Amino acid sequence: MLKCLSGVDGPSGYEDEALKLIEEKIKPYADVLKTSRLNTLIALKRGEGTKKLGIFAHVDELGFVVAKVEERGFIRLEPIGGVDPKVVLSQRIKIFTKQGVVSGVVGFLPPHLQKEDQRGKVPSFDDIFVDVSCSSLGEHVSVGDICVIEGECTELGSKVSGKALDNRASCAALILAAQNLQAIKNRADVYFIFSSQEEIAGPGAVSVAYELGLDEAIVVDVTHGNEKIPQFPQIKISEGPALAVGPVINREFYKALSDVAKRNGVKVQLEPTPGRSGTDTDEVQITGSGIKTALVSIPLMYMHTPVEVADPRDIEETARLIALASTI
Amino acid sequence: MYLKELTELDGVSGDEGRVRDFIKEKIESKVDSVKVDVLGNLIAFKKGTKSNRKFVLAAHMDEVGFMVTNVEDDGTLSFAPVGGVDPRVIVGKHVRIKGEVPGVIGYKAIHLQKRNEILESPKYENLRINIGASSKDEATQKVEIGDYVSFATDFRCENSRATGKAFDDRAGCAVLMEIIERSERFEDDLYFAFLVQEETGLRGSAVLFEQLQPNLALVIEGTTAGDDPGLPEHQWATHLGDGPAITFMHRGYVVNKKIYESILQVAQKYDIKHQPKRRTAGGTDAARLAKTGGGVPAGVISVPARYIHSPLSVIDVDDFKNTVSLVGKILEEGEGFAR
Repeated sequence: MLKCLSGVDGPSGYEDEALKLIEEKIKPYADVLKTSRLNTLIALKRGEGTKKLGIFAHVDELGFVVAKVEERGFIRLEPIGGVDPKVVLSQRIKIFTKQGVVSGVVGFLPPHLQKEDQRGKVPSFDDIFVDVSCSSLGEHVSVGDICVIEGECTELGSKVSGKALDNRASCAALILAAQNLQAIKNRADVYFIFSSQEEIAGPGAVSVAYELGLDEAIVVDVTHGNEKIPQFPQIKISEGPALAVGPVINREFYKALSDVAKRNGVKVQLEPTPGRSGTDTDEVQITGSGIKTALVSIPLMYMHTPVEVADPRDIEETARLIALASTI
Repeated sequence: MYLKELTELDGVSGDEGRVRDFIKEKIESKVDSVKVDVLGNLIAFKKGTKSNRKFVLAAHMDEVGFMVTNVEDDGTLSFAPVGGVDPRVIVGKHVRIKGEVPGVIGYKAIHLQKRNEILESPKYENLRINIGASSKDEATQKVEIGDYVSFATDFRCENSRATGKAFDDRAGCAVLMEIIERSERFEDDLYFAFLVQEETGLRGSAVLFEQLQPNLALVIEGTTAGDDPGLPEHQWATHLGDGPAITFMHRGYVVNKKIYESILQVAQKYDIKHQPKRRTAGGTDAARLAKTGGGVPAGVISVPARYIHSPLSVIDVDDFKNTVSLVGKILEEGEGFAR
């Protein structure tokens, strides 16, 4: 499932293809399905009506928009979201034109032809170019076309590597959790919310949080795995989801989640978050008259590259934890 | 056309076996003899109708890539380039170790980089290959120090352009294979040399003279284009679509005048699209051939390729076909060529 989810393309604002796939996958487990005005998919699994619990995962991924079409089959890009220019060089780029998908190549001068003063520096998006001469639809590319880096999702031993695992890994966890709720009886009414436009800090999640009048929200996203960040504990891949603590998290809700994890043997890691989390949690908390929030994160290596690495076991454990949260 | 098969095989300098085996199997029945020499060069022989000259057609089998230099405690692999690979083109790529174990070259998330780091070139010492192993023990079950690493790039062909890895110099290997497919004999004795270790210092070609004592040679390459927005137009080396590039001079060797002019004459005589290579950057086995033994006069004909020495380069398929035509016509000239 993770490979399928990584394989579909859906940069911020253009999530339709990804949403369609998710809708197919979660349909068997949902009582009601609907899509919001801002392209966010909501799947309701009714419980005993004790409260309304929203579980969020953003669907969108990083991408580009064609900013300029130049002569001889070259185009220029602007990034959608925080794309590291280093990971763009020498990649295949998929460009969605009105006539169909164009496959372009991000070119880079060989060492033989480089100038001394260019060495050691990575070109910014001002200088990065895409060669579309190798596509039969290359001349149909126009300014405003949306693009993504082509990335195959592959298995690396017991782990998976591909693009957009931020945040399709979490989408997978939500679908699995919905499946788990066939066996676990949820008390809260659970809204699985697949939101748009997170990578640009956009409006996908908050608008839905407001409309649904949620009591509690769990945001599922990814966090940096196996990175040494000074002063912080290392979140490790394959060691289970990370639970955030900090001002954007409701303390009691965190405690309840942590307890339910302990009782059910879900291994979790602790992620201190002294300020904003950089996820939809930050905005969801202050929506309407306030929502009790928790943040559950799947450890992910090389975030925002086309070769992000996640452990499917972490995703399964995340699914188990959020399914259990609906029994609180 | 064997471009797809040849470029999807992994054969970094020193590890050309897969490429050699493939070529050997395909050509064995179409030549008089084949042999593999001490260094690993594959040399095929086709007797001529006059046999007054020994003519070598050479292309190198190896490509640039990496070697695993250490297996770290956390299960990741340190690695170093084999041949010239700019560290700026390798981040975020899928790779294959010894042609079979999949891995990726990741990078610290942009969120964790300092502002001034973002446009700084990655350094090999900070890069690792991840094969999904969580410990050194787990990793060493699949790979070991010294294993070779290639980019895992697929070949595609559209709009008469081909994209993939290793056109430098599988394009040359493919040209030689096309020539071998032709059943007729030419006047000169022909030696098809599929060479090793060009990218690590023109090493395979160094042992040809002693074995063959050739009278002349043609080196068939995939060469730099540079006709892209990365360079102003006056600095382009070759142009995709303008036909095979004929080298006048490159590092360490001015091409033998007789050969250079003869190549141009043949191209003009048969109206085969061609272009002079406009820059002298880079080098080929022609330089080595000229310097070994008593020296072999050699010419260089190349298929222009954009973005070589990266995971993803582009050639024009018509340039490839015109290269095959030109080399074929040169052979048809027989003893009249470069006389």
